[in-house]
Amino acid sequence: MEVKILSARFDIDNAHRIDVARTHGAYRALDKLFAMAPAEVIEEVKASGLRGRGGAGFPTGMKWGFLPKDTGKPVYLAVNSDESEPATFKDRYILVRDPHALIEGIIICCWAIGCHDCYIYIRGEYTSQVKILQAAIDEAYGAGYLGARVAGRDFRLDVTVHRGAGAYVCGEETALLESIEGKKGQPRSKPPFPAVVGLFGCPTIINNVQSIASLPYIIANGAAAYRAYGTEKSCGTHLFGISGHVERPGMYELPLGLPLLEVLENVAGGVWKGRKLKGVIPGGSSTPVLTPAEAATVTLDYESMAAHKTMFGSGGIVVLDETVDMVRLVENLIAFYHHESCGQCTPCREGLGWMLKIVRKLLAGEGTVADIDLLRELCDNIEMKTVCVLSAACTMPVRSYLEKFRDEFEAYALDGGSPQPEQREG
Amino acid sequence: MAETVKLFVNGREVEVEAGKNLIDALRVVGIEIPHFCYHPALGADGNCRMCLVGIEDGRPPLVPACKTPAQPGMKVLLDDQKIRKIQRDIMELELINHPVDCPVCDQAGECRLQDYYMEYDLQDSRMRVPQVTKGKRMDFGCGVVHDQERCVLCARCVRFTRQITKTGELGIVNRSDQARVTIFPGRPLNNRYALNIVDICPVGAMTSRDFRFKQRVWFLQKDEGICHGCSTGCAIYIDHHREKNGDDVIYRYRARTNMQVNGYFICDAGRLSYKRENENRQDLTLVDGVVVDFEQGIAAALEKMNKARRPLLLVSPDATLEQMWAIKRIATFYGATLSGYSDAYRIDDDGDDFLISDDKAANRYSLELLEIDRDRESFQAALAHADLLVNFDNDLFFSPINESLQRLLGEQDRISVCSHQLPVFSGSSVILPCASPSEYGGSIINRHGVLQRFRRAVRRNADPRDILEITHLLGGAISSAERAWPGIRQSVPVLRSVEPEQIPVEGLLLNNSEERDVGP
Amino acid sequence: MRDRSQLQAAGQPFTFDAERNDEFERLCTRYPIRESMIMPALWLAQEQQGWISAEVIEYIAERLDTYPAKVYELATFYTMYHLRPVGTYHICVCRTLSCYLRDKQEIVDFITDEIGIKPGQVSEDGRFSLEEVECLGHCGTAPVVQINGEFHEEMNVEKLKAVLAHLD
Repeated sequence: MEVKILSARFDIDNAHRIDVARTHGAYRALDKLFAMAPAEVIEEVKASGLRGRGGAGFPTGMKWGFLPKDTGKPVYLAVNSDESEPATFKDRYILVRDPHALIEGIIICCWAIGCHDCYIYIRGEYTSQVKILQAAIDEAYGAGYLGARVAGRDFRLDVTVHRGAGAYVCGEETALLESIEGKKGQPRSKPPFPAVVGLFGCPTIINNVQSIASLPYIIANGAAAYRAYGTEKSCGTHLFGISGHVERPGMYELPLGLPLLEVLENVAGGVWKGRKLKGVIPGGSSTPVLTPAEAATVTLDYESMAAHKTMFGSGGIVVLDETVDMVRLVENLIAFYHHESCGQCTPCREGLGWMLKIVRKLLAGEGTVADIDLLRELCDNIEMKTVCVLSAACTMPVRSYLEKFRDEFEAYALDGGSPQPEQREG
Repeated sequence: MAETVKLFVNGREVEVEAGKNLIDALRVVGIEIPHFCYHPALGADGNCRMCLVGIEDGRPPLVPACKTPAQPGMKVLLDDQKIRKIQRDIMELELINHPVDCPVCDQAGECRLQDYYMEYDLQDSRMRVPQVTKGKRMDFGCGVVHDQERCVLCARCVRFTRQITKTGELGIVNRSDQARVTIFPGRPLNNRYALNIVDICPVGAMTSRDFRFKQRVWFLQKDEGICHGCSTGCAIYIDHHREKNGDDVIYRYRARTNMQVNGYFICDAGRLSYKRENENRQDLTLVDGVVVDFEQGIAAALEKMNKARRPLLLVSPDATLEQMWAIKRIATFYGATLSGYSDAYRIDDDGDDFLISDDKAANRYSLELLEIDRDRESFQAALAHADLLVNFDNDLFFSPINESLQRLLGEQDRISVCSHQLPVFSGSSVILPCASPSEYGGSIINRHGVLQRFRRAVRRNADPRDILEITHLLGGAISSAERAWPGIRQSVPVLRSVEPEQIPVEGLLLNNSEERDVGP
Repeated sequence: MRDRSQLQAAGQPFTFDAERNDEFERLCTRYPIRESMIMPALWLAQEQQGWISAEVIEYIAERLDTYPAKVYELATFYTMYHLRPVGTYHICVCRTLSCYLRDKQEIVDFITDEIGIKPGQVSEDGRFSLEEVECLGHCGTAPVVQINGEFHEEMNVEKLKAVLAHLD
């Protein structure tokens, strides 16, 4: 089931070094690239059907097409390497095992959109990874792939790595821009969209690492070759991170559209310890959970996930075995999003903390059925009332656990328990 | 009104100014959209989410009104069930970690949380888990006290220090529900406009040390006034209250919006100048150091003025246009020399490029319009020559500049018409108490030539008389501010067609007055 | 998150050493605005001093001609900046989803029992500090522990014992 498009050089020793990477094909798309007009590159990427691999799945070529023409302002590219959605760890493999695919992709994108200054926003926790990435960038400068004349052409391109410092919300594209601008990572209201007013007030494209790293293959081999993988609307391949209760967790490159359970069984070795499946989180912690019955019919593509009222997300699949306490899992989940709320909008800032306390009250054996109903109601009251979707990333999955595993929550609730008197934290 | 657009609110067509956001545009036609974080001086931030409104057929269907410009044909949903529910939900979330301490909160009575609770929420608390605890009674400097638990994190205060004063003392640290407004340790508020933060805070998180616990706001009578702290003439509210069996006391000034004069803010010195109205007042009439009836004081003054051979009348640069005119008229009547010398009211390099002026006189502009002499040399000569000085509340010793004049005072008999007990008035043979600005009405013209009218706000028990009334008792023909105007109009070309009753609230920019700083 | 607003003073003024100063100046040329340098500067300072003291914040604000309150905002918003000294070995245990599912709690409990520190604490001898952190992006090799920036994957108590034994 596995394919090697993006991951072609992952298993080659020292492929993070430019000489090794070049031996195995890195930077070979550039001759073809510079023979193409920028608009042709955009058309090729549109034709490939590549969709943003950060989680939202927006068509990459179409996104580039939103840039206004001839504004007289510089155009920026911000590469989103913040990957901090729990269960997501795919971009890390690119950064460490094939950073030159990313750099080559950056050159392709920047040529297409007319950008000369690219920032790679990498999450602060990627300490050793940032060193490998920076070394690769330095090598690319040394080899003339970056700098005043990219690959000998009359095209300047500078790439700067900007380190995050522990804030999930910076994976949200406008928070990421704020962070590069030296502010707290608090998402901006849209409109204006970043393509019009982005980094430093200039037109800006923000793309995920995997999206960018997919470009060399598309340019070198053509859109049709890329479309040969995947489904009609979910084209190409994807780096899937499989974690949780499976025998062989890890990162696997697969074409889109495969049946979820087959992948879990054949690629990841099935549920560990011979246990039964209880649920699957299909695309990072923010995606609604699937029951085993739902998991049996879903395929790994955007359309099937939507049909199952969940999302493809970042391709971070988490397997939950029969021992998982869904209430505790939800507590872990809300704690994460609460911790990561930027604190800007009232509903998210105040509401997630309230939700967390209600779950903890249930876990402490002090909750009631009314608390479960309140928790469920708060999901509706908070969701989509905020600048960004961080709160929805919490409420959407929580709602799914409450609906699909309500009996577990009720088991924690006291029957007819009376509300506790109000008190303040010590 | 500038260019307009027609749009629909709950199906009703309204015409509003183009280019404004929905909050501002609809307010003009009487439609209020609730909000905490938006402030016209600070722009839209969009964090409170209280102003979310529906846009029928819109994408997205739900938008913050503060960030949404009024557009032609737009169908705004405000009062439908869905929007009412959102407003109620947002209010619930605003309040879950908010202490229920309205009974001891100074904001009570003018608090948006309270108002919106009554308007949009009205539900019992469903909060049955411990609240988040944060800092209380934090001294932020400049008399600003902060309560982090009452704060709704609208960031108005932070934006004020970054955008308006550009001093940046405040920030919001942490994230999630631990976010809180604070100062960097050891770097408290340090700007001359800091108390505006108390005005713009929509809740009780920012209170004024000066006002805290002094008076419940619902007891305060809120009258419009003009600050007399300097020549900018900022629009203010005079908040005052008469206790049962007590005196009418001013508790605070607040900024009143006047886009032609001060915008939305006032300086701290001006704000705190209300104290001057309450303190150190001259309430007694004295003749040769003996307390007498006011009428006896007037009689004594009249006698002296009639007898004087070389009387000198001194007018204050704080006096209203009408008062100045009345004094000018009695100067003519008595054949007196008239001076408006007031160099002491200038404090060089004290002003800034925002609101604070070097000139601490409220109405120097009128002295010039009425051609009242302001020259030091001629005043000094007249003083040396005079056998009677009648000083109408001019504090020659406001700044130390006139030390050398001190010896000249006392060489002549002196009558002082004064609102405050000040060194400059001591040694006068007759002291007639007069009203301070909050106790009379009239017109003043600020340094930029904006003519503003104000009305009497305060009626103190001592009931000091308006200077204008005193000039009438001293034989002048002008008995009221209105009666001063025919003469003023006739003698001052730029005021020829001014009808005082028709001066707009924002004042009248005198048309042939060029931008200038009027010299003393 | 915990309240991070209480800053500590180091008791001495801070300045970049020559190497960091060069790096600071080099990075400044990469951004069209000065404030973009707040985060890189905080990283450089943490690399040099080990933590972000009140003096560091004042120094960075001065170097970048911005308000200390603004640098303070960032230092408290981004949780990887240490606002007090950490141990010689700063141990971060991932607490989130996949690591939670694969028994990160055993590791936390072991450290608490063995070294005597709970999350958020520094050992009395200053050798160790422990922090539970959100997802570290190593879910496929959970549970994961990061010690002074270095990742240790597929951890369990036995492996952690061996790692700790190899520390100086």
